[in-house]
Amino acid sequence: MSKVSEQTQTTGSADATASAIKVEGLHKSFGKLDVLKNINTEIKKGEVVAIIGPSGSGKSTFLRCMNLLETPTKGHVYVKGHDITSLKTDIARIRQDVGMVFQHFHLFPHMTVLENLTYAPIKVKGLSKEAASQKGLELLTRVGLRDKADVYPNRLSGGQKQRVAIARSLAMEPEIMLFDEPTSALDPEMVKEVLEVMKALAHTGITMAIVTHEMGFAREVADRILFLDEGRLVEDAPPAEFFTQPRNERAKQFLEKML
Amino acid sequence: MNLDFAAAAPSFPYILQGIWVTLQYTLLSAVFGFIWGTILALFKISGIKILNWFAIAYTSIFRGLPLIVTLSIVYFGLPQLTGYRITALEAGVLTFGLNSAAYISETIRGGIMAVDKGQREAAMSLGVPYRPMMLNIILPQAFKNILPALVNESIGLLKDSALVSTIGALDILRRASHAASTSFRFFESLLFAGLIYYLLVMILTGLAKLLERRLRRSE
Repeated sequence: MSKVSEQTQTTGSADATASAIKVEGLHKSFGKLDVLKNINTEIKKGEVVAIIGPSGSGKSTFLRCMNLLETPTKGHVYVKGHDITSLKTDIARIRQDVGMVFQHFHLFPHMTVLENLTYAPIKVKGLSKEAASQKGLELLTRVGLRDKADVYPNRLSGGQKQRVAIARSLAMEPEIMLFDEPTSALDPEMVKEVLEVMKALAHTGITMAIVTHEMGFAREVADRILFLDEGRLVEDAPPAEFFTQPRNERAKQFLEKML
Repeated sequence: MNLDFAAAAPSFPYILQGIWVTLQYTLLSAVFGFIWGTILALFKISGIKILNWFAIAYTSIFRGLPLIVTLSIVYFGLPQLTGYRITALEAGVLTFGLNSAAYISETIRGGIMAVDKGQREAAMSLGVPYRPMMLNIILPQAFKNILPALVNESIGLLKDSALVSTIGALDILRRASHAASTSFRFFESLLFAGLIYYLLVMILTGLAKLLERRLRRSE
């Protein structure tokens, strides 16, 4: 397995110095339904990109194509220069570098909070239990949940669960983080604590792609806004431009409703 | 009434020794059936046609045969083909294990399907490969969900194990029959055997409740 990962590590990395994720001609259909239509874009290393759009526009599917939780029907997705749509690519290896945070957290319910954080580093990266625990506790401190290390996820509030989920992803020390509507399942009073953690994270220089309905957050934190409508990427602009003078008609309508 | 437990009592210790034999069959069959049943369940959900087909055909065959027929085929029939004189223990464990796996695989499959799809995606997104994901993330949650069904299965195995008395194993029932034909106290000896089976089942049920409560802690 290490051989394969070495290979995927080297192929194509030359042209990938600044590109974290590159999407070329991405198509995704579920049966007859075309969810994504010819999407082309690039996310640079260290960039924070917010993906927004009406519900059903394909935002989540788009994001899930970036770590192959959805397999594209056509087109290519490159992560750090590796074509993850190629069968030769060791996708499990790539996923170690691409963290994902889900709308519904998906913490492992049969493990304590700390075990949630240490499981993958120990199992996948071969870290010692001590090293993983130390790292895990540091991360819990960072998201303000050091005191919850030994409880089971069912004892946490939604906001706390999501912060643990973020910490769990970070425990693998990913270079890219994908967020799939991380605050959509939360009670309003818990949204802020999660956004604060994400904001702090954005300042560390990690690459982030965030599907969100939090317009204020997107405006404040993102370097770029991608606006999807009916499976097409119809606007790609810096937030200042997007929120004040969107070019696309659908984006205009969307913003009028949202703001 | 023609009842005389005192006359039957001297053979009770002899019958009691059968507990270990019965438990041996039950435990080995349960472990074998559980592991093989899990593998069959993974076959069923694998998406690989030939494995799906095999698991479904397998389940259908074992569901369609009376257990005593399977046991007889394995114990009396197989040596004719293989030339290997199979022991009663091997035949019993093989039969009960294979049979139990057929039933249990359906239960386990259901248990796996009932685990939230997000658990799998979370594990995948962390770069966890298929095997550890199944072993450490999915199956523990699946087994917890189906624990009551698994206990019922082992209770069934315990009771079914009495069938090995037909192939000469000295289990509780066989010993009770021996004792009965020596003392001619049939009712007393067999009732005693029945009592032992009943108590064993009760103990098993109690253990399962304890285990379930322990597992609940994380809920």
